[in-house]
Amino acid sequence: MMPAGTLSTMVVGNTIRSPRHFVFSAIGVVIGIGAFVFFLAGVLKVQAVLFSVFPLEEVEVIAPHTSIAGKNLSKKLTQETLDQIKRRSEVKDALPRMTLQFPAVGFGKFEGQDIRFEVGGFTDGIPPSYVADDPKISDRFIDGDALGQIGPACEPAKGKAACPDRAWQYCDKVDKQCHNRIPVLISPTVLELYNTQVAQSHGLPHIGKMEQFVAERGRERMHFTIGLGDTMMAGSNVSVTAAHREVGGILIGISKKAKRVGLTVPIGYVERWNKEFVGEAASKEFSSIVVTLRDKDRLAPFTKWLQDEPKLKLEDSLGEQFGTVVFVITIVLLAISFVIVGISAINIAHNFFMQVTERRREIGVLRAVGASQRDVLLIVLGEAALIGLVSGIMGSVAAVLGSFVIDWASAAFVPDFPFKPSSWFDFQWWTFALAVGFSVLFCVVGGWLPARKAAQMEPAAALAQN
Amino acid sequence: MAADPVIQLESVRKSYGEGAGKTQVLRGVSLSVPRGELIALVGQSGSGKSTLLNIVGGLDKAEGGTVRVLGLDYRAAREPELARLRNAKIGFVFQAFNLLDHLTCLGNVTLPASFARGAKDVDKRGMEALGRVGLGDYAARKPSELSGGQKQRVAIARALFNRPELLLCDEPTGNLDSATGHEVIEFFKELNQKDGVTLMIVTHERRMSTIAQRVITMRDGAIVEGDLAGDEHTGGPA
Repeated sequence: MMPAGTLSTMVVGNTIRSPRHFVFSAIGVVIGIGAFVFFLAGVLKVQAVLFSVFPLEEVEVIAPHTSIAGKNLSKKLTQETLDQIKRRSEVKDALPRMTLQFPAVGFGKFEGQDIRFEVGGFTDGIPPSYVADDPKISDRFIDGDALGQIGPACEPAKGKAACPDRAWQYCDKVDKQCHNRIPVLISPTVLELYNTQVAQSHGLPHIGKMEQFVAERGRERMHFTIGLGDTMMAGSNVSVTAAHREVGGILIGISKKAKRVGLTVPIGYVERWNKEFVGEAASKEFSSIVVTLRDKDRLAPFTKWLQDEPKLKLEDSLGEQFGTVVFVITIVLLAISFVIVGISAINIAHNFFMQVTERRREIGVLRAVGASQRDVLLIVLGEAALIGLVSGIMGSVAAVLGSFVIDWASAAFVPDFPFKPSSWFDFQWWTFALAVGFSVLFCVVGGWLPARKAAQMEPAAALAQN
Repeated sequence: MAADPVIQLESVRKSYGEGAGKTQVLRGVSLSVPRGELIALVGQSGSGKSTLLNIVGGLDKAEGGTVRVLGLDYRAAREPELARLRNAKIGFVFQAFNLLDHLTCLGNVTLPASFARGAKDVDKRGMEALGRVGLGDYAARKPSELSGGQKQRVAIARALFNRPELLLCDEPTGNLDSATGHEVIEFFKELNQKDGVTLMIVTHERRMSTIAQRVITMRDGAIVEGDLAGDEHTGGPA
């Protein structure tokens, strides 16, 4: 067998001296591989955005809504339901969420303006352990009151100066003690809605990285007050059992685990407030249970069990539906790419058959001076592989250039919307490796039969060609 | 005891085509060529001499009989062994030169080195071979820039590159003018006499008969004159 270096030199030389053959063979592969990389990077990005909004391995279980004559008769989610779900083999972990079941408002100053927003119904509680894996917030997302972090005594009239830790404490007007401010999380959805819908229309600053925003403006600018038992909504028909009172809150960060539209605080606060303002039963009813599955594939059996046994359902299956749609689109687009590359492989086979016929005498000479059948096979396959390699690289480059055009057009002509990505493509190194690999593979497959024909040619017959 | 013959053929048969169109090209040819002999194969077109040469060179396969060249039994040999034999021990010179137009003269001459593992001093040896045929100054030229005689000399240099023990020539002077053909014939004579290379030359050239130690005449796929298979031949340089 000929040395690898000589084989490479001969393959490169043969390819360079037939530029027309190279172009005819490569053009289809370049288009096919370009489409493959373009589509793959596009769907990867769509998937990434989609799964960041709807994580499929994490679902939220709720009770189906049932009412008669305006009375809510929905099944209640309790500790027993939570334990039942935790026992399922598909489930890795399950954590309760509890909604604030009475009116409340939030108010304070933001960028020098008085702001007020409804909190009741838009706030829920989650166990602090749920965000323990996020070091940016886990230290502060704690139930200070439950941990006894109360005191010293304070004078509410002194305002922010009443407590030693101005950033993290507030002076409670009822018990005149310093309490930790209620740590509040918001979801990326809320931040995205703020940036794309509110900030521009109200002349407010755009928030990029929350940590940077806080560092620039100071922690105290994240303070606000929660008026428990108050509401901004006209026609509210709720009567609360306790006197209205105010607690101090502080926005500590962004978390995907926060309520998608609203605020999220440690669940202990919500339990105590529900008990105080609504009653004992309200402090034991979960609004939903967040279930982390062992993997995405367990979703289907878990959903079936959920509907059959505890008669519960998932909050929504949008993520699953979107995931299915994206999967189908991915398959269709990649299939189109493969069809293009497949047709190109047939074209390559045709071109190589012509080449082999045209180069019969040359092949005969090579055999006469000592090339074995295997050498000839490797030379022709090497030429096909080289076309595949170069075409794969050119196709990948074309895809990246195409993505620049799309991203530029998107930035210039498509209006902002929530979760609009700065780039519509996610080019991973393995995307290019896969593309070049497929390109080489298809070209080698296309060149296989012509290579065999060349290798099996009798040297005497080949040399007899005039 | 005499040395093993370089070429030993026994009852070699070959045909082309199938059925009614089948043509018997070689009809049981037997031949023995000792080391160092220069033999000329003559005969009319279609007599089977080129086919016989191709079979001896491993460029074509015999349908029947035994072919043993330089100790290798072709019937038992695997294809890579035949390729190695052609590469290392056999040189070919064709009527149509069969140079590769995209390579330089030196590239053509050193082509056999592409298929040999561990080939050393390739360019130096290539230049020596070109020098030997008087074309040392033509190394960088392409075949298209050469005359017919020069092309054939490059082809001969390529055949000599690996210092073959056996040189097979198919009508080597067929495309050359008389004077150039004479030069080539003299070169073969020198090659045979000085280097002891065994030559088998298919030719129509009468002058070749004057340098050949044996002239074998073929007709209708059989040797009709000069067939001395089995006889003792001393051969060698005259």
